[in-house]
Amino acid sequence: MKTHILSILALTWGISVLQGNTMPKLPCPSGNLPTLMLYNDFCDTCGCGGNGGSMGFGTGLNNNFLGLRYIGQKYRSRDGIFANSPWIDEDFNTVQLWTQLPMGEKFILNAVLPYQFHTRTFSDQSEQHINGLGDATVLGFYQVLKQTPDSIISIRPEHTLQVGGGVKIPTGTFDEENLEGSVNPSFQLGTGSWDFLVGANYGMTYRNWGISLMANYTFKTENDKYYRFGNQLNYAINTYKTYYFGNDFALTPQLGLGGEHFEENEEFGLAVNDTGGNAFFGKGGIEVNYRTYALGVSTMLPISQNLNNGKVEVKNRLSVYVNINI
Amino acid sequence: MKLSYKLSIILLFSALVFSCSSDDNATDLTGNGTVHIEFDNSVAGDDLLLSTSSYTNSQNETLTINRLTYIVGNFRLTDENGTVFTYPKDEGYFIVNEETGNTEVALTNVPAGRYTSLTFGIGVDQEKYLQGAEGQGNLLTEAENTNMVWSWQAGYKFLNFEGTFTSPTITDATDFVIHMGSHGSSLDNYKETTLDLGSEALVSSDMNPIIHLVVDAGNILDGENKIALSEQAVIMISEEKSPQIATNASGMFTVDHVHNGSGESH
Repeated sequence: MKTHILSILALTWGISVLQGNTMPKLPCPSGNLPTLMLYNDFCDTCGCGGNGGSMGFGTGLNNNFLGLRYIGQKYRSRDGIFANSPWIDEDFNTVQLWTQLPMGEKFILNAVLPYQFHTRTFSDQSEQHINGLGDATVLGFYQVLKQTPDSIISIRPEHTLQVGGGVKIPTGTFDEENLEGSVNPSFQLGTGSWDFLVGANYGMTYRNWGISLMANYTFKTENDKYYRFGNQLNYAINTYKTYYFGNDFALTPQLGLGGEHFEENEEFGLAVNDTGGNAFFGKGGIEVNYRTYALGVSTMLPISQNLNNGKVEVKNRLSVYVNINI
Repeated sequence: MKLSYKLSIILLFSALVFSCSSDDNATDLTGNGTVHIEFDNSVAGDDLLLSTSSYTNSQNETLTINRLTYIVGNFRLTDENGTVFTYPKDEGYFIVNEETGNTEVALTNVPAGRYTSLTFGIGVDQEKYLQGAEGQGNLLTEAENTNMVWSWQAGYKFLNFEGTFTSPTITDATDFVIHMGSHGSSLDNYKETTLDLGSEALVSSDMNPIIHLVVDAGNILDGENKIALSEQAVIMISEEKSPQIATNASGMFTVDHVHNGSGESH
């Protein structure tokens, strides 16, 4: 399965290299820029997991848009503490309304409002569903280095650097009953806590190539059920190349690597067994731009992982999004 | 421009304020609660499935377990200050039975506190036994119903461990029967074990923790003492081997985790 997806990605990449014009003949309208965002690594903790999700690609380009994104994540977790304990299959689904807006010359505001619908299937084939609003995130970024306006294809490398932070608001429900009977504590709509993020994004573009680096850290606090998810570190590197087809179309395939690290969760101030861990992913995706619209698909597959002491496994993540530049 | 400046300052401030304000636990522990103790029977790292799974021990004997039943009692909980709560002896014996799925013990009316260690006995002590058949309450009836008593004179079986095995010398599946007890008042095989919880079990009128124990059945024959079934497959009254089995059995318990909370569902 993994190899199939990877080979499809590689093929897509190859075809686009063969067919794509390396340069647009005319200066591109600004609406034709890839919108692959820097900030979409801020998936909230639940469903996206105490094994927090991140689906990020960043181009470092400063677009302002409104978008809708679907993120599907597949996990499995042990229903019990033994080597032969059955697995629970978990499907985490999130639809996010997200936007990026400029606030003056140097600031960018980023907001994400998720709706979650999660399912888990126990070994006896019984299912549990939870759905509702997830935790909303609002982030502010200061642009230390900003891309020169209107230079879409620059002769010299262009650098961007943004630092900032924000808050995750407990708009999603945290139900302590979902902690029982399963070792995956992340089967929740929200963490139930006010969490705080700091992060930085660096991007470099040269001609139609780009590379981006991002890292962010989430400080999580105790919720009113005395449960505290562990702090979380996300980091990623992405490379991409944009191919322009005439004035209206652009295609941007991308490849990257990313990792996530989680501290142990706590309940009533006491460490919770079999929580915390880390996962390292390979990522691939493609974005198609048409005028002011962008359609993207990306996937993340684990390269190595040790989540919840091996009791939780992430299988894959898939993201599909549509953005409109504004 | 000005707006975004203000916004970022507000964000920064709120981050500082909130991140510094959490840790006080509003958990005043008062009243009484129930402590649940889950005896999760296992063998060789696997959940124990009776008559199904087999495992090979360090003596190269392959066992299929068909029955695992044992008596536990005299529970004591020690809190962070070293104060010991002793569960009333009259209600203090329980039969853990893998066949019927009775593997959870509920200690009710435990005073509020932060408990850090658990002590209990495997079997029935002489004090209880010497109360005579009349003094046994429900325990004797329950033991009779679950194959946990030889006769009143011979006493309780503390451990009933049965199944089949093969070894390099015995290649046909052969029954094994391990019944360990005190044999009246002549041979005392009652043993106690103390387990550090590795965390705290929080008890109050609305907190009823679950202490999740892993019980390694493999330890009964393959623990501190090595007992080969190919040498003797039926061990009931043995002055040599019964005490060894009692020692092994008292070492088969470990704490996997403590689950704190209301304990209403699980």
